[in-house]
Amino acid sequence: MSTPKKILVYIDGTEQSVTAAQYGICLSSFYDAELMALYVINTRAMEDLLRARIFLKDEQVEYEHDMESDAQRYLNYVDELARKKGVSVTTKSTRGSVHKEIVNTIKEDEVDLLVIGELSRIRSRRDEFYDEAERAMRTAPCSVLIVKDEDSVWEMYESLT
Amino acid sequence: MALIELVQEKIVKTPLESKDKPDVLRELVQILRDAQEIDDFDAILTAVQDREDKQSTGLQDGIAVPHGKTTAVTRLKLAIGIAPQGIDFDSLDGVPSKLFFLLVAPPELAGPHVEALAEIAKLAQSKAFCKALANAENAQEVVELLKGD
Repeated sequence: MSTPKKILVYIDGTEQSVTAAQYGICLSSFYDAELMALYVINTRAMEDLLRARIFLKDEQVEYEHDMESDAQRYLNYVDELARKKGVSVTTKSTRGSVHKEIVNTIKEDEVDLLVIGELSRIRSRRDEFYDEAERAMRTAPCSVLIVKDEDSVWEMYESLT
Repeated sequence: MALIELVQEKIVKTPLESKDKPDVLRELVQILRDAQEIDDFDAILTAVQDREDKQSTGLQDGIAVPHGKTTAVTRLKLAIGIAPQGIDFDSLDGVPSKLFFLLVAPPELAGPHVEALAEIAKLAQSKAFCKALANAENAQEVVELLKGD
């Protein structure tokens, strides 16, 4: 069995995704693997909200702008976390449906390990409730690592020289 | 961040006491204050009212989704209110609103905010489920319905 050559971390602005990034940085260092961080601006959800009339057109534009700023901020933060540990990370921001964009990136960039943050601990049986990371986990064509226990991940990240 | 994680009994109120739109907005924000989820009542109410001033978030079939961005919170905050008799909320179809989902978020969590609103939008499409929610007798029943227990 070979070790991962290219690791993708999905970042969505949650604390769980930042913990996943720290874990990805550690894995990249341990295995000397390439590391990518991806943020997806969820334009699909915004279109759904506009169609449902929950969003106004100018509100959609405003939130899209906010998400672009979020993408840059969180990806810069991951880059900073990686640089502190001497790890190089390629950052990427795309737009569309989150799980589809993750799958596209995995295929296009030949990623062999997807790292995501902890999923919701509460599982609703209602189909309307899902989180995008969970969808990505189910549809990813490569192995998926779900990162838990932020304290121990932080310790591992901090101990990285 | 899944919306379901925000659902708990203390952020659900049924029945709501308000009779009109300004009061129901205050009552929904008060739910969050009573649940000790927020500190700055006025800032949150202003954010939600400002959005309502542009166009009502009263959708079709008795559902309303008042929402707003504010630096007065650091995480997503959800309050659910149910008015079985309906409250005039200037909704698109003129039908009084029975189900209220209030969602507020800080500006830097636009992604999770949008995803949570999208989940509510999907939920609103199920008329049978919304009817069951509107007829729930107490907060516990609302939580059980939403979590599918």
